[in-house]
Amino acid sequence: MPSNFSHRDAAPKPESKFSKQTAQIQNFFSIPAPIKTLFDFVPVLVYPPNELPQRAPKPSRIPTLYVFSREEDIAAGRPSFNPGCLKWQAFLNIAGVKHRLAASSNHASPSGQLPFLLPAADTSNTNLLPVRSNQLVKYAEDHGGYVEESTSMRYEAYRSLLDHRIRNAWLYTLYLEPSNFSAVAYPLYVASASSNPLVRASLSHQLRSAAEAELLKNSSIIDIDDLYSEADKAFEALSILLGDDQWFFGCDKPTLFDASIFAYTHLLLDEKMGWKEQKLCRTLKRRENLVKHRKRLVVAYFGG
Amino acid sequence: MASPGTNGEDLFENLRKSDPKKLEAEEKALREREAAQRAKAQERLRELVASNSTLPVTISSIRLIGAENTRRSFLDRLFNPILSVNRQKVYTLSEALQEVGSAADKLRKFEIYRDGISMFIDRPSQTDPSSTPTDIDIYLQARERGRIALKTGTDLGNVEGSAYGNLTWRNIFGGAESLNLNASAGTRTRSAYQAVFDIPILSDPDKRLSIDAVSSSTLKPWANHEEAVKGAGAKYSWTTENGTRHQVGYTGAWRQITGLAPTASPTIRNDAGDSFKSSISHTWITDRRDHPFLPTNGYLMKTVSEIAGWGPLRGDIAFWKSEMETSASRPVPIPGIKGNSGVSFATGFRAGVLYPLPVGFGSTSQPSRTNDRFQLGGPTDVRGFKMGGLGPRDGADAVGGDVYAAGSANLLFPVPRVGKDSPLRFQLFANAGRLLALKNQDDDTSKSVYSTVAKLGDGLPSLSAGVGLVYAHPVARFELNFALPLVVRSGEEARKGLQFGVGLTFL
Repeated sequence: MPSNFSHRDAAPKPESKFSKQTAQIQNFFSIPAPIKTLFDFVPVLVYPPNELPQRAPKPSRIPTLYVFSREEDIAAGRPSFNPGCLKWQAFLNIAGVKHRLAASSNHASPSGQLPFLLPAADTSNTNLLPVRSNQLVKYAEDHGGYVEESTSMRYEAYRSLLDHRIRNAWLYTLYLEPSNFSAVAYPLYVASASSNPLVRASLSHQLRSAAEAELLKNSSIIDIDDLYSEADKAFEALSILLGDDQWFFGCDKPTLFDASIFAYTHLLLDEKMGWKEQKLCRTLKRRENLVKHRKRLVVAYFGG
Repeated sequence: MASPGTNGEDLFENLRKSDPKKLEAEEKALREREAAQRAKAQERLRELVASNSTLPVTISSIRLIGAENTRRSFLDRLFNPILSVNRQKVYTLSEALQEVGSAADKLRKFEIYRDGISMFIDRPSQTDPSSTPTDIDIYLQARERGRIALKTGTDLGNVEGSAYGNLTWRNIFGGAESLNLNASAGTRTRSAYQAVFDIPILSDPDKRLSIDAVSSSTLKPWANHEEAVKGAGAKYSWTTENGTRHQVGYTGAWRQITGLAPTASPTIRNDAGDSFKSSISHTWITDRRDHPFLPTNGYLMKTVSEIAGWGPLRGDIAFWKSEMETSASRPVPIPGIKGNSGVSFATGFRAGVLYPLPVGFGSTSQPSRTNDRFQLGGPTDVRGFKMGGLGPRDGADAVGGDVYAAGSANLLFPVPRVGKDSPLRFQLFANAGRLLALKNQDDDTSKSVYSTVAKLGDGLPSLSAGVGLVYAHPVARFELNFALPLVVRSGEEARKGLQFGVGLTFL
């Protein structure tokens, strides 16, 4: 910026009419000295702060990961029932980033989707911004976590198998398969939000139509057989990729990719989910090495 | 004035010559003449009625002219009780006129007729064999208001500007039923849609039943979130003979705390999501003030009680909430000034408690949520603090409290030169408040409520004082104040200096 347009430079030149005006305007907006002394004098008395309400979370020295979960699973650190949340929960456990869990809903998230991490408030900075899931890798690196990423060229291709084929089959089997929706999705996502039948009906409708819209993004019709057979092929490909290795891409320790596979395999194989229509579960159970992979992660990072 | 005989050119000349001042004077004279005539006619009527006030009469019929769209059965309920056929006693003329006058007054209150319902009295022809010599017939003339009214406009409210559209459908079934549809969007209320169906019970304008549905989304910047509400309810309101108003109602509302700002605190994040409130409430108001926005004499008392979620009400949250509000004003006599000095003293006090209850028939009570807790502070209650500036804070968020009390004292003076008859006043004020949250106390709710109420008296309340200008506009009260906070709790958001407030109710 040229200096002659700057107010600060213009002010000392008394001959400029413009500068006089700006100086006056500045004077007008600045607080006159006697009032400023008065302002400095008040408040006369400052008491300690008010205490927070009962529902306010207790402050902690570790960050909080907001996930879909049941209240009773939170304290025990059990896996979230949402694959998107479970992926990052497993990732943080693998990376060794200490955190506590909070049962939450999408409304709490800055991106509109769980999970997200709220850093612990410490004395140095009280106003901490939430960390979205796509920034968690960097967060873990910055906070001394163990992060190893596969550099394999095939990584992206396999990730897209997961993000599309398996996810689509998951969306169908959870939300659009009526028996699974009422037995699995309804109690986890709908009944937990509100006890009111009208609210529940509205939320059910929203969930199902969102899942349907997501599936119709890629194709004009929802072909159920095709969805399941694509998922079957994807599991087959992943099973071949894993082979007899402990972890994917021959790593010594599990990576984010293992966490993302685990997010689906664990939920499909977990007896407690109570799947009614088990087509997708059966497809997975046929790949023995994937079943063992899930078991290894549960034992190592979720206490059995 | 041009006489009918004058030719066109002269008329034109005449019109051209007439200056506005002269026209105004003429008009004024005309108005005065009309007013004098009306006064004289009224005087004559009064004399006539006075001299015949004890004349025995029987009301044989009441006819309402100009009410094409009003149901007969609706009017019957209003007029039948005062017809002489349905009464034992004989009226005197003045009694009869009083009865009919109060019926006409009720008609006016339904708000389906234009102002000025006029009354005529006639005696039926004595040759009619069915009439008795004391019979009179009453004619009431009314003009119905338009049945559909559409209104759009802009509103300036508390730190908020909005635009609205409003459709009113009056007298739908001919019984003063009305349907009111309202849509608005503003800077704070992002969108609000409301439908209210209102119906007077038994042709009584003071007994009303209304059914409403609402869908709105409001920004709550003091707590970094947005609240979306979809709800419906029914209310019944009535006025007792001494002028006290009551309202009981049921509300069911689905609330969503959503759209959190990145800086939202953990307390707000914890409360984000859905909750359904099912509640019964009762409001009681007695208003004996001489002006709604700038009272100089009289008092107001109001209580609001609400029970949510308990027993058969169900829902996701449960509490008992009680709030009370009082204000009183008195003119202050100034020695040396005769009559009303225009100086007045006003005090106000508000308090509220939220008592957590178990949902349904459960046994553990539910701690309160952000959207049910009270907020305190701002230009319309405790001046010298920001909106929601008092009470518990988590980071930047005013998370609200379960118990509060606030009071104010204002001394109002007329502004010199403008005078005491204008709606403008200087004020000196001091106001104070306390807003506290309940503490966990071994799951003993009553103990925790009592100890929190007791804590209201710990130390001085958060306090501010200042001077300002008050303007009572017919639709709202405006205040421009210079306030200095004197006592605060650490974290509370005080506001030193100028503060502007617009509102309907001020502390």
